[in-house]
Amino acid sequence: MKTSKLALVMAVGLLTSGCSEANQVTVYEPGVYKGTKDDLLAKADSADYNEQMRQRFERGQTDRQTAVDSGN
Amino acid sequence: MKLIKKSDQPITGMEEKIRGVLGSAVGRRTFLKRTGLALGGGALATALPPAMMRRSQAQAKATATGEVVKKKSVCTHCSVGCGVVAEVQGGVWTGQEPDFDSPFNLGAHCAKGASVREHGHGERRLKYPMKKVGGKWQRISWDQAIEEIGDKCLEIRGEYGPDSVYWLGSAKFNNEQAYLFRKLAGMWGTNNVDHQARICHSTTVAGVANTWGYGAMTNSYNDMHNCKAMFFIGSNAAEAHPVSMQHVLRGKENGAKLIVVDPRFTRTAAHADQFIRLRPGSDVPLVWGMLWHIFENGWEDKEYISQRVFGMDEIRKEVAKWTPDVVEDVTGVPGEELKKAAQTMAENRPGTIVWCMGGTQHTIGNNNTRAYCVLQLALGNVGKSGGGANIFRGHDNVQGATDLGILSHTLPGYYGLADGSWQHWARVWDLDYDWVRGQFDTSYADLKSEGSKGDVELPFANPMNSAGFPVSRWIDGVLEDERNIDQRHNLKAMFFWGHAPNSQTRGPEMKKAMETLDMIVVVDPYPTHTAVLPDRDDGMYLLPACTQFETYGSVTASNRSLQWREQVIDPLFESLPDHTIMYKLAKKLGIGDQLCKNIQVNNDEPLIEDILREINRGMWTIGYTGQSPERLKLHLANKHTFNPTTLKAEGGPCDGDYYGLPWPSWGTPEMKHPGTPILYDTSKPVAEGGLNFRARFGVEYNGENLLAEGSYSKGAEIQDGYPEFTADMLKQLGWWDDLTEEEKVAAEGKNWKTDLSGGIQRVAIKHGCAPFGNAKARCIVWNFPDPVPIHREPLYTARRDLVEKYPTYEDRASHYRLPTRYASIQKDDYSGEYPLILTSGRLVEYEGGGEETRSNPWLAELQQEMFAEINPADANDRGIKDGQWIWLEGAEGAKIKVKAMVTDRVGRGVVFTPFHFGGWYEGKDLLDKYPEGCAPYVRGEACNTAFTYGYDSVTQMQETKATLCNIRAA
Amino acid sequence: MARMKFLCDAERCIECNGCVTACKNENEVPWGVNRRRVVTLDDGVPGEKSISVACMHCTDAPCAAVCPVDCFYTTDDGIVLHDKDLCIGCGYCFYACPFGAPQYPQKEAFGVRGKMDKCTFCAGGPLEDTSQAEFEKYGRNRIAEGKLPLCAEMCSTKALLAGDGDMVADIYRERVLARSGRPQTWGWEAAYGAKGYPVWPGGTRPRASPPKAREGK
Repeated sequence: MKTSKLALVMAVGLLTSGCSEANQVTVYEPGVYKGTKDDLLAKADSADYNEQMRQRFERGQTDRQTAVDSGN
Repeated sequence: MKLIKKSDQPITGMEEKIRGVLGSAVGRRTFLKRTGLALGGGALATALPPAMMRRSQAQAKATATGEVVKKKSVCTHCSVGCGVVAEVQGGVWTGQEPDFDSPFNLGAHCAKGASVREHGHGERRLKYPMKKVGGKWQRISWDQAIEEIGDKCLEIRGEYGPDSVYWLGSAKFNNEQAYLFRKLAGMWGTNNVDHQARICHSTTVAGVANTWGYGAMTNSYNDMHNCKAMFFIGSNAAEAHPVSMQHVLRGKENGAKLIVVDPRFTRTAAHADQFIRLRPGSDVPLVWGMLWHIFENGWEDKEYISQRVFGMDEIRKEVAKWTPDVVEDVTGVPGEELKKAAQTMAENRPGTIVWCMGGTQHTIGNNNTRAYCVLQLALGNVGKSGGGANIFRGHDNVQGATDLGILSHTLPGYYGLADGSWQHWARVWDLDYDWVRGQFDTSYADLKSEGSKGDVELPFANPMNSAGFPVSRWIDGVLEDERNIDQRHNLKAMFFWGHAPNSQTRGPEMKKAMETLDMIVVVDPYPTHTAVLPDRDDGMYLLPACTQFETYGSVTASNRSLQWREQVIDPLFESLPDHTIMYKLAKKLGIGDQLCKNIQVNNDEPLIEDILREINRGMWTIGYTGQSPERLKLHLANKHTFNPTTLKAEGGPCDGDYYGLPWPSWGTPEMKHPGTPILYDTSKPVAEGGLNFRARFGVEYNGENLLAEGSYSKGAEIQDGYPEFTADMLKQLGWWDDLTEEEKVAAEGKNWKTDLSGGIQRVAIKHGCAPFGNAKARCIVWNFPDPVPIHREPLYTARRDLVEKYPTYEDRASHYRLPTRYASIQKDDYSGEYPLILTSGRLVEYEGGGEETRSNPWLAELQQEMFAEINPADANDRGIKDGQWIWLEGAEGAKIKVKAMVTDRVGRGVVFTPFHFGGWYEGKDLLDKYPEGCAPYVRGEACNTAFTYGYDSVTQMQETKATLCNIRAA
Repeated sequence: MARMKFLCDAERCIECNGCVTACKNENEVPWGVNRRRVVTLDDGVPGEKSISVACMHCTDAPCAAVCPVDCFYTTDDGIVLHDKDLCIGCGYCFYACPFGAPQYPQKEAFGVRGKMDKCTFCAGGPLEDTSQAEFEKYGRNRIAEGKLPLCAEMCSTKALLAGDGDMVADIYRERVLARSGRPQTWGWEAAYGAKGYPVWPGGTRPRASPPKAREGK
């Protein structure tokens, strides 16, 4: 089973290389995750958390032009 | 079966590209990684003793307990001054966060800065004092080490005099340690003290200071947001000052044109609008070639020149000789390319010039740096936001260590070595001048019946007043015939106090010198190349100093800003802070009380704040007087209030200050001068950081006025040029009574540099004037060997046809106490046997000699082998393939074994080597000579082993950017 | 809700490897495992470009699709993670990944692979958030702490951006406008599907050769 899966992956790769214009990058659909549940999944729902991440992004990733309000 | 074909849409070409990139060897890193990975990984696993592994793991952040404390420090790997935020838990450095608040880096780091937490592991550190006994390293106690080293120093002093001990200091010191080190050498009684600035930017400091007053970066990295054009020559900022590129690229996105001039297509050049490849060592012709177009087209700033520049006409005469065809012949750059560059600079003002080691490390380095300045003066770019000479310094505190005078030719603050200079500092030290004088050797002219008749007039000056050996020449201080040196005896003992000897040229002679000395003392967090290079069985000590993350103090970034570092962790293992070691040694040598007369000492550790206060009391020349510990700590706590472009605090407790109080921060701390963000910028009042060119060279030359004409800092009451301020001048101006009674007492008979009350400076500034006067910048430096910067061929040149027209200097009998050769080397043709030009430079992962960074596994993994870049044509001519071992032989016969990297990055006929490797010598890995467990993860041949003789005519800078070599398959 | 993405601005990337050591530092990644790398195209000649590459946390991640033990999952904000307790180190994901992201520690002789390791967008793994166990197995969980991946937060020139895809795209768009150049969003199309971002100007291709199986693994 394993071998055939790998063979298929590679075969698809070969078939499709060299063409252009793609909307879809992958041509597979994942199976169902069988591992431990991650707490992190729920967190992204919180508005506070999202606001915190937005601020963090503003602070660190932009080319800051001015002095900032608060320290570390 | 979950593999469901969802569509017929194929994979894009994109992933094929990236796959290709990831799968094939591109670039230097991948190239080297392939061969090195298994080896490096294996070496790592076997080299770590199990106990170390455990301890290392014990330091993993998740295991540390206790509250997370944030400590703020500054990266120790270059002069940008990136803020480091360390998270410490229970004394263990567990995390590193971006310092978003720092206006210098806004959180950013390069490979080195992003890995400084490794300093908290320090697996390969030197862990306790060691001594070489019978060829083996033996652990000893600190007490024994200090006792034995001190006794030996005193014995040498008794027999040969104080000048036979050399104090080689470091740009890795913080300001306070740098100052204390220079003071220690003074107390010991010698000027044989120096550090890496000699071999880094000494020609800049000399050339630039002699052009317009101060020899430092005029603007700042941040100010490059305002440039309209940026001209890089001999600077590879993308690798040497990576975070500076954040500002450079912001400037470029704001519309600035970026020109990069270099013999290599560097990673900086990859971002340039125009790349110009020049022949190594032809900087002056290149700059004159640009000026030729500027003058030809009338692009110079005539008003600026008439008001603020002296001697441009002399330059015109020299430039007239450099027509496009002559320039092309000498530099290899077609006239049209230079015209384009000149036009870009002329049409996009203000523009800045950036240079680094590519310009400075030449026998005519001082000519190069002055030529760069002249170009900027002609364009009227100096003293303007977006303009200036943005000279990127190297080490994190090389600016500070230079300012604080770890130099053989001056005391702190560039006061020089004259009697008056010593008297000034003796007053600051609160010591009897005669005691200081008595520490030095007396004139030894009577002992020198034959020997040198150099430019030091006989009888010799007192050794107290004559420049000591420069670090570039300590080898000759050991090996040169005693009759030829301008001091009583040769060097007998050396302190390598934070120095990588592999950063110095002439490997075989250095090895011999190390084997000749009576005693070698290495004071460093790592054993360094010094520990393994010489073949000797005894007379060597290794003392573990801690890093700057294990102590605290101030550090000066390239832009002259001082930043305060907090202590992140306690010193690891048995290491001690440098200033503690200095005090212990001074105490043993009997000069501890004098060294720390007004400095509190706790448990052998001199109090950093007290040292800085003493610095503040004495450094009037360059305005290191306003930066008290309290003000610097306030800036540290309020970093976020400073604007990332102007560096000015907007509100908050530092309102109006410039970040780090960039020197000069005039007067006393109480005067609250905000610092000077841009030197010579007349658009602001001096009290608010404005300035004009310094009146340093007198008021007239050959009857011509040297003072500024019709140009002055905003708000100056003297609306013209004026000389430097003295007590008498205040009286003549009727400003004397602006001094307080106390100030009058201190100022009487003094000038702006020697008035310890700061009153003269305060009153001058109150009237809108610069304490150092207001003069023109000068294009001709009449006290230098070449008053007008001219081209001279390197000592080892492949262009023999140019030697006659552009010869080097005549040999000199005595310069910095040593005979210095020029013409006697150049007269011989080496280009047959050694046809390739050899040059050197940096890699982003490593710093300096690299011992520290090659001992950091996160960095070492990225760059595992020493190599040489060779043009495909040169490689094919010699049957050399990419990735194979080769022998590279320098023109003096020293050879190194390195990997070949065949690349178009270098032009035909040029070989490039990185200078960070060490721990090998002429094909042999010296692994077994390191103390156990202290060898860096990555070792390799030091390129400088193969580099040759050659020293700048003013500063003794070593020539490492243009010599000759040959290569062959190994 | 945010959709976390990486983007490396090739006009800003200077190949300083800051992202690489930041990653090593933050996640204590061992020697020989590189969650992030900087690759350079046309090295040493005009046109030289560098980009920083790691797991791009793809939409419809190919690694997840080929995993025989289904150890991959995607967080609500689009971060692709995996459970090392399930991973059997088969290496399929390495072959499926367009970015060469999966890494395998060389634990034993004769090429036996260890558990796969890759960039987690500094979001740890399925163990308790910010626990010691999570740190040791997956690295730091900055996302749980309200921070972004350290590689991007420490990027020397702010070339590497990480965060919500729309915010990343906004910053990038502004820069492209300022430079009046063409956008070159390396890997976005491959990772996140076509969104109208051309990938490389003028169709220039880096010198590409077929991916090789990793030696000695």
